[in-house]
Amino acid sequence: MTSLPYRDKPSDSNHGRGDEDDEEEEEVDATSYKHDKDAVLFAIDVSESMLTKPAETDEKKPDASLSPTVAALKCAYALMQQRIISNPNDMMGILLFGTEKSRFQDGDAETGRGGLQYPHCYLLTDLDVPAAADVKQLRTLVEDEEEAANLLVASKEEVSMANMLFCANQIFTTKAPNFSSRRLFLVTDNDYPHTSSRDARNSAAVRAKDLYDLGVTIELFPISHPDRGYTFDRSKFYNDIVYSATPSDPDAPAPLAADIKPASSTARDGISLLQSLLSSVASRSAPRRALISNLPFEIGPGLKISVKCFILLKRQEPKRTTYVYLPPDSDKAQIAVGSSTLVADDTARSVEKTEVRTAYKFGGETISFTEEEIAKIKNFGDPVLRVIGFKPLSMLPVWANLQPATYCYPSEDEFVGSTRVFSALHQKLLKDQKMGLAWFIARKNARPTLAAIIPGAESRNEEGEQEVPPGLWIKPLPFADDIRQAPETNLVPAPDTLTDAMRVIVQQLQLPKAIYDPRKYPNPSLQWFYRILQALALEEDLPEKAEDKTLPRWKQIHKRAGPYVVEWGSVLDEQYLVWQRDNDKQIKPQVNGAAKRTKAEPASAGAKAKKVKKEDDEDGVTDAEMRDAYTKDALIQFKVVDLKGWLQGKGQKTMGKKKDLMDAVIAFFETKMDVT
Amino acid sequence: MAGKEATVYIVDCGSTMGEKSHGRSQTNLDWALEYVWDKITTTVATGRKMAFAGVVGLRTDGTENLLDNEDDYAHITVFQELGQVLMPQLRKLRQDLVVSGTDGGDAISALVIAIQMIVATCKKLQFQRRIVLVTDGRSAMQADDLGDITSKLKEDSIELVVLGVDFDDAEYGFKEEGKDATKAENEAILRQLCDDCSGVYGTLVQAVDELGVPRVKPTKPVPSYRGMLTLGNPEEYDTALAIDVERYPRTMKANPASASKFVIRSDMAAGEATQSTHTIDGEEAAPNGTNDGLAAVKTARTYQVDDENAPGGKRDVDRDELSKGYEYGRTAVHISESDQNVTLYETSPSFDILGFVNKNQYERYLDMSRSNVIVAQRTNDKASMALSSLIHALYELESYAVARLVMKQNKEPRIVLLAPNIEPDLECLYDLELPFAEDMRSYRFPPLDRVVTVSGKVLTVHRNLPNDDLQDAMSEYVDSMDLSTFGQDDAGQPAEYGAMDETYSIMLHRINQVVKHRAVYPDTDPPPPYEVLTRYSQQPSELANTAHPSLSRLIQAADVKKVPPKARGRRYGRKDAPKPLSELDVGALLAQDSKRSSKQACIDPKNAIPEFKQLLQHAEELPQLRAACAQLKAIIFDWIRHSVGDSGYGRAVEAIRVMREEMAEVSVAAAPYNEFMRELKGTMLDGGLGGERREMWYRVRVNRLGLLLAGECDGGVSEEEGRAFLSAAPVAAAAAAQ
Repeated sequence: MTSLPYRDKPSDSNHGRGDEDDEEEEEVDATSYKHDKDAVLFAIDVSESMLTKPAETDEKKPDASLSPTVAALKCAYALMQQRIISNPNDMMGILLFGTEKSRFQDGDAETGRGGLQYPHCYLLTDLDVPAAADVKQLRTLVEDEEEAANLLVASKEEVSMANMLFCANQIFTTKAPNFSSRRLFLVTDNDYPHTSSRDARNSAAVRAKDLYDLGVTIELFPISHPDRGYTFDRSKFYNDIVYSATPSDPDAPAPLAADIKPASSTARDGISLLQSLLSSVASRSAPRRALISNLPFEIGPGLKISVKCFILLKRQEPKRTTYVYLPPDSDKAQIAVGSSTLVADDTARSVEKTEVRTAYKFGGETISFTEEEIAKIKNFGDPVLRVIGFKPLSMLPVWANLQPATYCYPSEDEFVGSTRVFSALHQKLLKDQKMGLAWFIARKNARPTLAAIIPGAESRNEEGEQEVPPGLWIKPLPFADDIRQAPETNLVPAPDTLTDAMRVIVQQLQLPKAIYDPRKYPNPSLQWFYRILQALALEEDLPEKAEDKTLPRWKQIHKRAGPYVVEWGSVLDEQYLVWQRDNDKQIKPQVNGAAKRTKAEPASAGAKAKKVKKEDDEDGVTDAEMRDAYTKDALIQFKVVDLKGWLQGKGQKTMGKKKDLMDAVIAFFETKMDVT
Repeated sequence: MAGKEATVYIVDCGSTMGEKSHGRSQTNLDWALEYVWDKITTTVATGRKMAFAGVVGLRTDGTENLLDNEDDYAHITVFQELGQVLMPQLRKLRQDLVVSGTDGGDAISALVIAIQMIVATCKKLQFQRRIVLVTDGRSAMQADDLGDITSKLKEDSIELVVLGVDFDDAEYGFKEEGKDATKAENEAILRQLCDDCSGVYGTLVQAVDELGVPRVKPTKPVPSYRGMLTLGNPEEYDTALAIDVERYPRTMKANPASASKFVIRSDMAAGEATQSTHTIDGEEAAPNGTNDGLAAVKTARTYQVDDENAPGGKRDVDRDELSKGYEYGRTAVHISESDQNVTLYETSPSFDILGFVNKNQYERYLDMSRSNVIVAQRTNDKASMALSSLIHALYELESYAVARLVMKQNKEPRIVLLAPNIEPDLECLYDLELPFAEDMRSYRFPPLDRVVTVSGKVLTVHRNLPNDDLQDAMSEYVDSMDLSTFGQDDAGQPAEYGAMDETYSIMLHRINQVVKHRAVYPDTDPPPPYEVLTRYSQQPSELANTAHPSLSRLIQAADVKKVPPKARGRRYGRKDAPKPLSELDVGALLAQDSKRSSKQACIDPKNAIPEFKQLLQHAEELPQLRAACAQLKAIIFDWIRHSVGDSGYGRAVEAIRVMREEMAEVSVAAAPYNEFMRELKGTMLDGGLGGERREMWYRVRVNRLGLLLAGECDGGVSEEEGRAFLSAAPVAAAAAAQ
């Protein structure tokens, strides 16, 4: 064998580093962008003070009466559930330290005394992509007090921090050797371990340096106890342990958020320890990675700076199905890992990537090109974002979009001074509401596109936390080929009185702050999908009904705009009659559904609509006609076109023969519309 | 969808077409054919069975047509009857359409032939009929029957296009000096003919010029939603508003033709299959295009599951043994056939307005999708009036609506933005999908207009912030590069430059261009891209010249400096060793550690990477670097040798990566790593590291851990050598290593 055949990268391979960046791709495609793979190990302190519940508790807020250790475990539990969904390839583990019991990895067979190696370190969940069993185990621990009381017992002697850190080191080394992001989330209320031993503290500092050199970042989540007058002081010990730069990710801009402030073990301002831990963890939960690092941004001939591009907006889709294997002797399904090879169709031999030729179908044959020719044909130059000029933002029509824009932020890596030039451009474009027009080649051999460079201002919430970062957005513009012509319409302009009536309605129903805040609208399909999947995986009961926050608030709409809608409806009826008279049209009854539909008169609306149908035989079949035919079992009278048109209007499938279409209509009435 | 069409091309092949006129480097025929081939191949490329083309040669040496027994119809040859043109016909035509040795042949007679071809084929059916005549107008024409021809063309609604080699065209601004009398006369006749039958008369230079402007394929609008747009719930309240609407695409990405992958058939010698196009045997194209010496490439998928008892810990399973499921973390969740729909969120079609937002506060980067247009149900005048009132109200209030849309039964709900659009003949709402909570990634970046220091101080003067001079210069430059009036509209008035309808999908038309070109000229290199495709790759030079002074000022104020490649890496030496927040000198602590302090310290395999890095902190000389690498090498070899299946590969890959990175940063140190790499490859692929380790080598390859290249490090190898190393046969490599 000369060399290995070309293979797709297996989905579970651990080579996350930098290889996408120089990969030659057809197109910038969000799907090809792999989220940074991240391994998080929680190290949770289990000491007497961490196990003490706050003195004052509120019966109504069970969360506020948790001990710090349990709060931390709950936080880890929440994060684990969330990451299974949002970052399915990421690993997570939980290490308790300071416990009476000791336990290390199961497979630590060499010694057979794993626990003795790292005394008072208890590896609750080994670092791995979580399994359903891990979630269940953790759930039991946080929900079952007995279970917790059994395990969460503080050791009488002090745990060696150096040993704990080395234990973490070993976990990362063996379980996540190739992860580009590895982080140790350390939750403790003890700001000065080894109070009396300088040597022990120094050993810990050395082990911390080892972690740093290994590429592991320590994130400290300190806890204070205001009720005991204790405030966590980082400078006593932890500043020797924590490094500021993120070693494994030179791409990351300087951290915006300062160190995590100590969380209070007692509820303050109604915020429980669990909540503040959750929000601190959330602020550190998203590892990020540049989609394109160091893209040359040519502002003018002879003026180049470098920028990095990030994906801040991406449609999350429910997971695709995978193949699973059910062993005959067990009901425990296994994931089957697929890998693909290119093979020649004639002999089924494996094919090297370099052998593959590109051909286009043309005139019943194929027109082929050599690889060099294709490379030359598709080559429009090196990756660049080149400004061609500027235009007012108002020249960008609202429909001019194809896909989410890419965020970019300056980088000093290639050009010193990039940040200040970028900043000057950003401020100018924001101030004058202008945009750049740019020639954009995202990466080697990517399709060139024209893109608008639009400025985005920084936005922060009431707490001062950044919600959207400041920067420029690269928005690929449609070409003439991508723009469709609008359908022909017969326009009947609304008279001013009608518009006025509508205006009141619009004014009544502003969304809060008159903006759309995506954070308030979780994707109902996605949420449902994961609720079900989780219930199946954890063998929980299936939920009955989904929560859908995207549904309109009908009651509110009714209350606030109801009378105005009725008013608008009567103006419409009136004005429509006027229009018909003016346009010399015979007076027609209300077209079905053209306007206000009321519950009170569906039958009459249907009857009227039927008449319309007979007058101008263009508009397909009305509901009433269809229902009539359905009740009389006379669907056969309709033509296939009519059935299709009607079904399409109901969003039903319109495939198949007439029989299928009739069945679909019947099914629709049987299930969707109760015949009343 | 597209209608039927029938086009007959009449191509003048007379001897005068072999001349090269007006300093052109190609013959008049070749020049004319550029146009004809482009048109024909465009038709071929559509692959439409009912897009017929026919070709008639005028002034050919031979004579072959329906009326060829009449003298008037001599030197006219029907090369291609009306029908779908495929590659074989194209190849034949390429040989047919050559300059003849004759001047005989009447263009008007050829027209008659062409008309007859169309009549015979199209009968009274619905066809788009067209005749294209390309000639230099240098042969005598009998213009007696023109009246009949005109009426026949009109009667059958056949469009006539006449393109003349160097014909005068005042509109386009071309006039040939010293034209001979026959040609002038013929031009007049043809022009009159075109005028009479409302045809198109033009000069060839214009037609050829316009070939560079791609044609945009129109697509028939297909609605993606038909139903009510509601405000409120008509099922529950009698105050709900509902308007019948239809939704059509407004933008939709047009993708280039997709290529198929082939390999040269294994029963062919490589040389045989190099010709670009090949004849198809018999009538039918083989399904995989295998008749041209190429075999299609397929993707074969294999599946594996973990099995403790199998060698390597994995076992192949057959597709048929598998069933559908999902991954929850690393747990497989099996979903039986009958439960397939359990994860489906049931919805029914609906389009509900949630509320309204302020247009001026809407951030454009929230647009998630391509856009659509929403119009009132066509033929429903009342709905049109109702929708119009919403559109006008939104417009007047500078508002957008936000709505929840379910396009079809059980489709997932989407939130869309509805923006009003008012034109004289089109009032509509445009819609764009908006993100959900899950679609937003909260990455944080420092502000751009101020610098916040670690101590919390806010700075407005900093090297990362522009000073007033830079701000002014940028402002002036941006204003000087304004494109809003730099272009020209059809009337020559200032207009937007680079408007979307003037830009063409670059890759789509590029691929079309080269495929069509290769079909006609298989042995020629692909042509350069049309000018219009690269027009917007640079600033328009006229504007750039005007803006040059502002740009110079900006460059000066910006003072941007390229980072030299060497300076990018972390420099070595204890001074730069990273420190914790407290600036504690961990190096000193390490030095106290007896196991780690000495320069010959032994790397603990359990803590290999940190200790290797720490060892390098002290290593400045090549021998020390070599020694450190040798230690790590032994550890890596051990990991691979004792790896059960791939259990040790991850660690080994990581250690190799660290060694490679560290060595790349020391300017003299390509050698230790490259020596290690060669040895690893040789030993491992020879089975010296505990048996078959090809999987490990595969990981080395996909992680691009090959030899250090000259561009990465002094003493690195050339790119070719690096590539060869990664792909070369293991045996050869082993030999090379020894």
